[in-house]
Amino acid sequence: MKHVKIKSKNLNVFYGEKQALFDVNLDLNEKEVTALIGPSGCGKSTFIRCINRMNDVIDICKISGTIEMDGVDINNKNLDVVSLRERVGMVFQKPNPFPKSIYDNISYGPKIHGKGETKSELDAIVENSLKKAALWEEVKDRLDEPGTSLSGGQQQRLCIARAISVNPEVILMDEPCSALDPIATAKIEELIDELKETYTIVIVTHSMAQAVRVSQKTGFFHLGKLIEVGKTEKIFKNPDNKMTQDYITGRFG
Amino acid sequence: MTKEQRLIKRHRAEKRFQFYGLLSIFIALLFVLVLVSNIFSKGSSAFMKTVIKTEVFYDQELLEIENGASRDDIISTDFFDVTIESLLEVFPTNGLEEEKQLINLFSTDVELEIKSVFLKNNNIIGQKIILELTASDDIDQLHKGNYPRDLPEERRRISDFQLKIFDQLVEDGKIKKNFNNYYFTKGDSRDPELAGIGGALVGSLYSILICLILSFPIAVLASIYLEEFAPKNKITEFIEININNLAAVPSIVYGLLALQILLSTIHLPRSTPLVAGITLALMTLPRIIIPCRASLKAVPPSIREGALAVGASKFQSVFHHVVPLALPGTLSGTIIGLAQALGETAPLILIGMVAFVVDIPASPIDPSASLPVQVYLWSESAERGFVEKTSATIMILLSFLIVMNFLAVYLRQKFEKRWN
Repeated sequence: MKHVKIKSKNLNVFYGEKQALFDVNLDLNEKEVTALIGPSGCGKSTFIRCINRMNDVIDICKISGTIEMDGVDINNKNLDVVSLRERVGMVFQKPNPFPKSIYDNISYGPKIHGKGETKSELDAIVENSLKKAALWEEVKDRLDEPGTSLSGGQQQRLCIARAISVNPEVILMDEPCSALDPIATAKIEELIDELKETYTIVIVTHSMAQAVRVSQKTGFFHLGKLIEVGKTEKIFKNPDNKMTQDYITGRFG
Repeated sequence: MTKEQRLIKRHRAEKRFQFYGLLSIFIALLFVLVLVSNIFSKGSSAFMKTVIKTEVFYDQELLEIENGASRDDIISTDFFDVTIESLLEVFPTNGLEEEKQLINLFSTDVELEIKSVFLKNNNIIGQKIILELTASDDIDQLHKGNYPRDLPEERRRISDFQLKIFDQLVEDGKIKKNFNNYYFTKGDSRDPELAGIGGALVGSLYSILICLILSFPIAVLASIYLEEFAPKNKITEFIEININNLAAVPSIVYGLLALQILLSTIHLPRSTPLVAGITLALMTLPRIIIPCRASLKAVPPSIREGALAVGASKFQSVFHHVVPLALPGTLSGTIIGLAQALGETAPLILIGMVAFVVDIPASPIDPSASLPVQVYLWSESAERGFVEKTSATIMILLSFLIVMNFLAVYLRQKFEKRWN
């Protein structure tokens, strides 16, 4: 039995009057990839944005219930959101490198958290992060070039490297391949497979095939409710719920 | 209607629209061309002034001063007699009236010009030196061809005798045009040939500088707070609406406000660049805040999210990422706001900058003129010489505005970073 890294209990999320999540109870295991699937607007993204409290930015967003990481409530008043996000990194749907050099993109996170005090330490972090994101060989000779000059797939790996740079425990990925071509997608998937040795990964995806390829555990969301969760193999071969069955076979969604 | 007919009709509609578009651009350009060529044709002559070559005799008897005299001695010496004697040598006269007319061909400042030559070289006592002395406004205009000499004498400011002297001087090659240094270095004057924009230029620069120092930081901080930090509620909304309204308030209202508060209540010195700068800053604030907020808004939210996701605080995400990206737009907005302030006349008239100020202000709390108000003042003057000065000053003002606008465009293009 794997250690449970993140545990959500009766999580409800409201955007103003509209309720986006209903009583979500979901355990995310350590050093494992959990895929969240479901039709658009079903609350998958809302759920992972709760894990690093990205929803704090939205004024009208209200949350009830708890999310615990290693047994500590992340919405706890004593927990600073900055230190939470240091431990929980995020990669977005559209690659969003800063319009700065590749080096600065990676070194920004460590710098603001006071990691890598000297230039050589920072250099090491940058190299290490880029290597882990399988981008080092492609960019090692042009670290001064703007991150935005890279191709879409490279940009997304740069964003993954940026997330890794602060040495998080969890990485959230919100449809990281939806803007990429199949070759770039394959590279990212390969990368996710390696990263799960070190990090707990949650990935939101619209591609059933991707969920099967990269994840060990899958959760199916529909209309803000977590319909079914279990081992990926089981969900896709022999789901308990009729709705899950219909969704993965393409009958709706 | 068949399909072909409909298609033809559609193409015609498009052609018609393009034609109207071209026509309106053409009309707009025509207006600009007429305006600019009108100003240029009237104003360009103001950059030259007419001078009369005159032999000046630095006569020891009249001056009562030695070679090598000290500066203070020279300044306190009266050069009036030397001046009069030298001017009277230019043309033979008969009687006091003719002498007066001859002397009136010259600017009232020639005595100073003669003195300043001596100040530069105090070893010329007893020598005769040929100087190029500034002519009076009437002769200047006559020489530039702006003066109707075919009017009957009683309707002219120039007498027949003066015309005779002028024609003789032209024949002798003693009249010529020089670069008009007075136009750039002197303050205002009742005599057009001695009036310059020096005071107005310095006054305007001081005003704009104060306006920049006050409005830029306040506007930028207000925009950043409103756009990035302020909670979205009724109060913020109310403030936003009012900033937009303030940008549309006629500038003269700011003048009234400044008159009441800055001059009547706080008693700041009247007619000074300090008050002008504060007034213009009030007026410019909303005009900078609006483009500044627009450029902050144009920074994609994904940049903010990217920064937040690696653990930057709100403050860090704004000042490390959003503000640098919004800076080019902010700067160009500021420059355009300042350019508007530079051309603003109405509020300055209300705070007393229409006062007749001869001196060039040494500090922002000295009474001063400003460029647009100088245009307004000169355009009301009766003398012919002020017509060209008015147009020339408009040219100077316009060239400042054009330079500032180009600077704004340049900054925006040079420093604007692309994001996907």
